[in-house]
Amino acid sequence: MPTYKLTYLEFQGLAEPARLLFAAGGMKYEDVRLKREQWLELKPRSPTGHLPILEVDGTVIGESRAVWRLIAKEVGMAGKTLLEQARADMIVDSIFGDLTPDLAFFWEEDENKKKELKQKFVEKTLPTLARFEKLASAEGYFVGNSMSWADVYCFYFIDVVNKLIPGEHLKGYASLKRVVDNVSSNPGIAKWLKARPETPF
Amino acid sequence: MPSYKLYYFHGRGRAEPARLMLAAAGLPYEDVRIEFERWPEYKPKMPMGQAPVLDVDGTMICQSVAIARFIAKESGLAGKTNMEQARADMMVDGFGDMVNKMADYVWYEPDEAKKAEKKKTFYDTTLPEFLGYFEKLLVANNGGDFFVGDGLTHADVFFLSLSDDITAEKPDVLGPYPKLAALAERIKTYPGIKEWLAKRPKTPW
Repeated sequence: MPTYKLTYLEFQGLAEPARLLFAAGGMKYEDVRLKREQWLELKPRSPTGHLPILEVDGTVIGESRAVWRLIAKEVGMAGKTLLEQARADMIVDSIFGDLTPDLAFFWEEDENKKKELKQKFVEKTLPTLARFEKLASAEGYFVGNSMSWADVYCFYFIDVVNKLIPGEHLKGYASLKRVVDNVSSNPGIAKWLKARPETPF
Repeated sequence: MPSYKLYYFHGRGRAEPARLMLAAAGLPYEDVRIEFERWPEYKPKMPMGQAPVLDVDGTMICQSVAIARFIAKESGLAGKTNMEQARADMMVDGFGDMVNKMADYVWYEPDEAKKAEKKKTFYDTTLPEFLGYFEKLLVANNGGDFFVGDGLTHADVFFLSLSDDITAEKPDVLGPYPKLAALAERIKTYPGIKEWLAKRPKTPW
C-alpha cells in the first residue's frame, strides 16, 4: 500500500475534501498542517505554488481537484464507468467554479464590503443550489446509486456554508439533504467529523 | 462506437480544448455551433443550463474540463496510471488558474483604465510566475517532450489552447520558456490536431 502525505495550512479549507475521502476509504495518511511562514518557504518547491499537495510514495501532486480526484480513485469513489466519472467531474467542477469562489467574502477585511459580499452570497450564490437539487437522485447520490466524491464535495461545501452562515440552507432540497445525510453517516466520515480539529474555515 | 455531439457557440472559447482532444483522438463528432439568439431553445436541455455540453449517445456531460478529460480517457490519452492522470489533471487545473486570472481583465473589468492596468500586471508579474512553474514541471518529465509520460495527454492539449490565447496577445511571451514554446509548436503538428487547426472556423475568440 502506498504512503500518503497531505500538506495544507492549519485549516480544514481545501484539504478537507481530501481528508473526508481518506476517512471514507479508511486510509491512513500523514496530515501535515503548515504555518503560513513554513508554506511560503516551501512554495517555490511546490509543483504549482498552491496547497493542498499530496505526496504518494514521493510523487507530488498539486491542485486541489487533482488531489481529490486521485484519492477518490484510490478509495473507489470516482465513478464506475467513464461516463459516471465525467458526471462526478462535472458536479465538482460546477460547485468549485461557480459557488466556492464566492465564499471568499470570509477573507474580506473591509467590514462593510464583507457584509455586502456575504449578503450577495446568500441572495445570489446560494440559490444556485437548486441546480444541484435537480442533479442529485432522490436517494441522495449525484452519480449512479452509490456515494462518490461529488457527494462528498457537495457535503463539504454545505458544511462550510453552515459554519460561516448558520441557517437552514437546504430548505426544500430533499435530495441534497439526503446527499448530506449519506455522507455524514458514512462510518469513516462520521468518525472523522467527531475527531477532526475545528477551524474557522 | 458512440455518437458524439458537442454543443457550444460559434467560437473557440471553452469548447476548443474538447475539439482539439477529439481531433487528437481521431473521433468523429457533430460540432454544433449555436447562434446566441437560439441559445434559449437549447439552454433548458443542458444539465446546468450552460455550454459546452458533450452528448454521448444521449448522456450529456457539461463543464469543459470534464468533457475534455472524458474524451482523453476514452482514447487512452489521459495518462496511463492514476498518478499520471493526476499529474495531467494538476497541469490542467494550473492552466485554469491562470486562465481565470486572464479572464479577470479580459471579460470582467469594465473600466478601460483598470483593465489596462490589470493586463499589465498579468503579463509583467502573474504570467511569468505561472509559466515558471509550468516550464519546471514540463522539464521534470524526462526533459519535456510532453507534460506526462511519453505521449500526448489532455495536459498538452490544454496548454496548446492556452498558449494560443497568450501568444495572440503577446507573440514573444514564451521566449523565456523554451520547453513550453517547443511543446506548443510540436503539439500543433500532432496528427489530427494539425488538420483541425488548418480547417477550423476562424473566429475572434
